[in-house]
Amino acid sequence: MDLAETTPAFYLVNMFNPVHITSARATCAQDTFSNNNLPENIKVFEQNILNYHEPDYRQYFTIMQLRRMTRIIKIGLVTAIEALKDAKLEQPQAIVTGTAKGSMTDTEKFLHDIVDFNEGTLNPTAFIQSTYNALNGLIALHHDANGYNSTYVHRGFSLENSLMDAIMLFEENRIENALIGCFEEMTAEHYELKKKMGYWKNESMKNIDLLNSSTEGTIAGEGTFFFTLNKAPENAIAKLSGLRMLYNADEALVKTTFNNFLAEHSLELNEVDAVFLSYNGNIQTRHFEDAISEQLSSNTNQLAFKHLCGEFDTAAGFALWAATKALQHQVLHPSLILKKGTSSSLKNVIIYNQYNGKEHAFYLLERI
Amino acid sequence: MPGKRVFITGMGIISAIGTGVEETLVSLRNNASGIGPIEIVDTLLKSKLIAGEIKVPNEKLAELTGVKKNAYYTRTSLLGIAALQEAMQMSKLDPSRQKTGFINATTVGGMSDMEKYYFDLVDPTTKSNENGLADCLDCADCTEKIADHFNIKDWIATISTACSSSANAILYGARLIKSGQLDVAVCGGTDALTRFTLNGFNSLKNIDASPCMPFDENRNGLNLGEAAAYVIMESEEQLQRSGNKPLAELSGYQNFNEAFHPTAPSPNGEGALTAMQETIQMAGLQPADISYINVHGTATLNNDLSEGIALKRLFGENVPLFSSTKPFTGHTLAAAGAVETVFSLLSLQEQIIYANLNFKSPMPELGLYPVTSLQTDKAVMHVLSNSFGFGGNNASLLFSKYV
Repeated sequence: MDLAETTPAFYLVNMFNPVHITSARATCAQDTFSNNNLPENIKVFEQNILNYHEPDYRQYFTIMQLRRMTRIIKIGLVTAIEALKDAKLEQPQAIVTGTAKGSMTDTEKFLHDIVDFNEGTLNPTAFIQSTYNALNGLIALHHDANGYNSTYVHRGFSLENSLMDAIMLFEENRIENALIGCFEEMTAEHYELKKKMGYWKNESMKNIDLLNSSTEGTIAGEGTFFFTLNKAPENAIAKLSGLRMLYNADEALVKTTFNNFLAEHSLELNEVDAVFLSYNGNIQTRHFEDAISEQLSSNTNQLAFKHLCGEFDTAAGFALWAATKALQHQVLHPSLILKKGTSSSLKNVIIYNQYNGKEHAFYLLERI
Repeated sequence: MPGKRVFITGMGIISAIGTGVEETLVSLRNNASGIGPIEIVDTLLKSKLIAGEIKVPNEKLAELTGVKKNAYYTRTSLLGIAALQEAMQMSKLDPSRQKTGFINATTVGGMSDMEKYYFDLVDPTTKSNENGLADCLDCADCTEKIADHFNIKDWIATISTACSSSANAILYGARLIKSGQLDVAVCGGTDALTRFTLNGFNSLKNIDASPCMPFDENRNGLNLGEAAAYVIMESEEQLQRSGNKPLAELSGYQNFNEAFHPTAPSPNGEGALTAMQETIQMAGLQPADISYINVHGTATLNNDLSEGIALKRLFGENVPLFSSTKPFTGHTLAAAGAVETVFSLLSLQEQIIYANLNFKSPMPELGLYPVTSLQTDKAVMHVLSNSFGFGGNNASLLFSKYV
């Protein structure tokens, strides 16, 4: 396909050298933490909030330490610790995270404290932990990791900008390795706020029925995902070869961008072995995923993931984790499969994620 | 990183010392601080604290910016649009004609407005959600409102690394240009004053109830402020197309986390030192080449001592002329790096160095004297700007006169 004919020249995004993923860790509604894989039996939720299956923190921290840490800090720290351990990396040279909401628990607690204590003498802990880069700073402290450190807080572009930042650090010859992650939590109050915006389904829906839904809205989830990246190929479990963000696009532009993305990486449709699609049960936005799905070849395995982890700003982290695992082990967990393809091996895997119809992202991952 | 160069061709600002570059410059030249009683933010702390509040109510800001009536624009968004409007007019660029990105920074996002209606909004028995306010709490809301207002869509990001946020936004934008992802990067930050942050910093016990005294022996904490500031950055090739004359070159930058403490800087100034040192190296300069440093200088006990130690370690007995402009604007958090970038650009353009207001006696540990009156007879070629934040996030930027 001739790119020049379909898009203005300035839409061509510079390519980057593939970066190597050396570990991937997930903590979410499914028990993905204990074995670093999707469990054999998928957890079924009867209500519209898919809360964390929380790890056992006691092997990482003392009771006293735990008492001082808020929920998302605990989850973030242990997920990051395990990702670094898997990669045998003690001090990452860069730590870049993405989160849309940070610690909602602490933001809410401080909002309540201000009113409950009449703006008097307040405990600063909630305020400190509500800052979006608090987790980043604590990971750096925990691993005594000096170096580049940043936090992106842009809804469905949070993880993507974190990755792009690290990719550029590699290109600039500034680092050899990096820890990248994203984290999100859902609270009762935040659920209510989003409910007023019409984000959720009005009826109760089981997560396993989500993909067949014919109503508006979706179900809420939470998740924390950490990855170590390496410039050199040693110990790699997958490669990230392409990443593209697209803001505020319509269906046609999503389609064009997907085709351009393939062409930029010299891929034909039938060379794509699997595609993660961000279907979240919302009939108002499913035309975006449909636009990709419809043109895929019969070779391609079509996958979904939001019925497993729920919807949240940085849910793409789940797909990145699951895609990495699939490439590493050459297995697609049955719970992911939306439409089976004929491709018998996994070499090229694409992720398409859209959040609330506004932030769209494409990832290309490759087998080592 | 050698190779491509990045030039600044537009700037815009709104803070307690003025709406727009012109008013800002008048205040800076006249040592006119914007710190005073709190009038607009609804807080009980207004009886105890002062701040750098912009005395323009939201209705007036909405008028000034001509925003749409059918969507909710928080104060953070309105300040951002007001500041960026000026920068866009200066560089005269149409975002749709080249790869243009918007890298924004904020720490409070829509909290400015959400905190007023929060308990109503989270109450399931009410229907209140004026113009979609419920979706405005996060940091991305203001970025998207601002980006949409100016039709910027090729790259969108929001950074929140506490007080170094907009310095990081500027260096991320520069790197996106150098890597070829963007031709134009619109970068900066916006933070409105909120009851949330006033109480937050008050709980940390690092707010001075009187005008702040950076680098002074008797400093007793910071004053908070609100502001928005943006710069337009262009690549060299893009500059040939636009024909814009650069205000300055962004010749160096660095982000460095010192991993010392969640809220306090290291006593030996390690993070500040590394950030400044590597920034100067990147520009291919020597410490002696620096004409002026706009220091972070929040006037907290820890920051100023740590930053002062870093200055001495890097520059020895020859510390360049330096001042903190926080006594003019207050600490504007995520906007601070961009606000002080505008001040640095004006320093290069006007060949002036600002007074560090309220300074009386040096810290006995260091004996460092900031500039205490406006300097108009010094050659200003290279200005270093520091932004250091919570979590050990340090960033420095270096601006060089365009010749």
